[in-house]
Amino acid sequence: MSNKVSELLQGGFHSRRKFLAGLGMGAGTAALMGCGSDSSTTTPAPTTTAPATTPAPATGPTDADILNFALNLEYLEAEFYLFATTGQGLSAADTGAKPGATTGGAQVSFATPAIKAYALEIANDELQHVRFLRKALGAAAVDKPAVDLTNSFNAAAVAAGIGSTFNPFADENSFIVGAFTFEDVGVTAYNGAAPLLKDKTFLTAAAEIMSVEAYHAAEIRTLLAYGDPKFLALSTQISTLRGTASSSVSGGNGADETAPSSKTIVASDSNSLAYFRTPDQVLHIVYLNATAGVVSTGGFFPSGLNGTIHASAK
Amino acid sequence: MDTIIEKEAIETLERRAERRSDRRKAIMFGGAALAGIALTSKFAAAQAPAFTDADYLNFALNLEYLESQFYTLATAGVLINDSSLSSPLSIDSGDQSVKGGTVVTKAGVNAKITPVAFTTPVLQDYAGETATEERNHVTFLQTALKSAGAVSVAQPNIDLFNSFNALAVAAGIGATFDPFADETSFLLGAFIFEDVGVTAYTGAAPAITSAAILQAAASILAVEAYHAGSIRTRIYLAGTAAQDTSTKIAAARASLSASAGGAANDDIGVGTDSTGAATVVDANATAMTTSRTPAQVLAITKAFFPNGVTGNIK
Repeated sequence: MSNKVSELLQGGFHSRRKFLAGLGMGAGTAALMGCGSDSSTTTPAPTTTAPATTPAPATGPTDADILNFALNLEYLEAEFYLFATTGQGLSAADTGAKPGATTGGAQVSFATPAIKAYALEIANDELQHVRFLRKALGAAAVDKPAVDLTNSFNAAAVAAGIGSTFNPFADENSFIVGAFTFEDVGVTAYNGAAPLLKDKTFLTAAAEIMSVEAYHAAEIRTLLAYGDPKFLALSTQISTLRGTASSSVSGGNGADETAPSSKTIVASDSNSLAYFRTPDQVLHIVYLNATAGVVSTGGFFPSGLNGTIHASAK
Repeated sequence: MDTIIEKEAIETLERRAERRSDRRKAIMFGGAALAGIALTSKFAAAQAPAFTDADYLNFALNLEYLESQFYTLATAGVLINDSSLSSPLSIDSGDQSVKGGTVVTKAGVNAKITPVAFTTPVLQDYAGETATEERNHVTFLQTALKSAGAVSVAQPNIDLFNSFNALAVAAGIGATFDPFADETSFLLGAFIFEDVGVTAYTGAAPAITSAAILQAAASILAVEAYHAGSIRTRIYLAGTAAQDTSTKIAAARASLSASAGGAANDDIGVGTDSTGAATVVDANATAMTTSRTPAQVLAITKAFFPNGVTGNIK
């Protein structure tokens, strides 16, 4: 990454505006249909999106909070794919001063060259995302939290009705199912967070990273469609599990899962718009917790996420 | 820990990063420029036309008209406003004052064609899915513009015959190219559009002022990225001949983009890089997709819009 953009990103934090109130993007599409553009005439002013009814300055997450939230998810994905392709996780240089430990993870014995090639690509992409976000955040970057790639998948298997255990590193088909667990979620997390970012440079970066996650998600779903129906069925069960966890809290755009199939490569709603989720919904998914209420640890993050956004509000 | 393996892994990833680094540098400046456009209120208001959110949605609508016509011809052999469809679309302006333009197909002006003779059911399923989704995007944008008190633009004149031949010559893949000839040709035809749609939406995102419209645009962006990811995954599976053609097409797109100020080599085809990783994702060294200005998008898609696009961004 060039120093220029790094400086640009760093500078963005200094000029970061206060977070706007009215974080509830759940009615985003409804608001669009009902109200349309709330500022369609001139260049944007910093305050145009602040609801007039806001009683006091908003105290929601900052851009740094949101990017750190994303960084936690990228740590998880990078660990998963790096272990699958190299047998090792992120290096010390990429995880901060006091990173949490990673449980599990192993190199997958790929039988199909194409699948190995895909895995190598995604592993590098996720590594680059970690590095980009860490560099953009600078000293504000959170360390890698503790990550669990063993008990998490086993718990997910039980919750999804797949069985008592599930090892995504057992073989390449299991790996694809494991990858499926993450990719669509990444898209919905970035999609939900993008409109919350104040800084336009961060917004562009988030949109560009979200696009890459959507490429990955489609790649994985396409491979499922071409592959053994048995693994497609497992993915459908995981999709249902994600939807259950996500819908345990309100927000986003409702029914937010589309089970993968040859005719449903894209996960989207009836308008063919991709889903978006609030951080709370994403937390319930990655903590593998489908019970409404405050949740701050569990699933893939046994000690919780690092950073301001780590516990669901509901 | 096996340090040799670790070292090799790191070197592999670094080589891969270097491969895309030229593009990255250029894109950095492109991103800075985009941010600059979005933040012109203080610095250079005169340089950037003050387009409204509706203008951007109408620009996107032009691209969706193009994509939906392509996929609907491929799967049904008819145009999106054909009465044989279960839900024919309107191609006229939202206020009915402007009639939709014509579509040149290989059979003539507004002429039906023989749908692509798919031999792979899983691919045929996907083509059908995409056709539906692109039509949904047309409907969504028309409806959203109406709800926002704006007028959706009519379909511009579209050329899906001479355009492909011209691109074939420009890309050096032959004197003619018929994307409806067979399913591999269809994949490559679809490839021409999908990545471009992604770059157009990420390019426009920071200029959008309404949070609700931004959410919708980001949600369409994600779907376009799913499409691009699925198409590129299938091109990879189709083998080196299709991959090589995609690389030539990507180079042609990059050249056209550069003619409108785009970064040099801002595009990458499907293939396998020197590290053994696939290049399914059309991304730069930092694993982020490219963002293009409307002018760059129009330079790439010019052949498909023989009389230009409709709306204020043209």
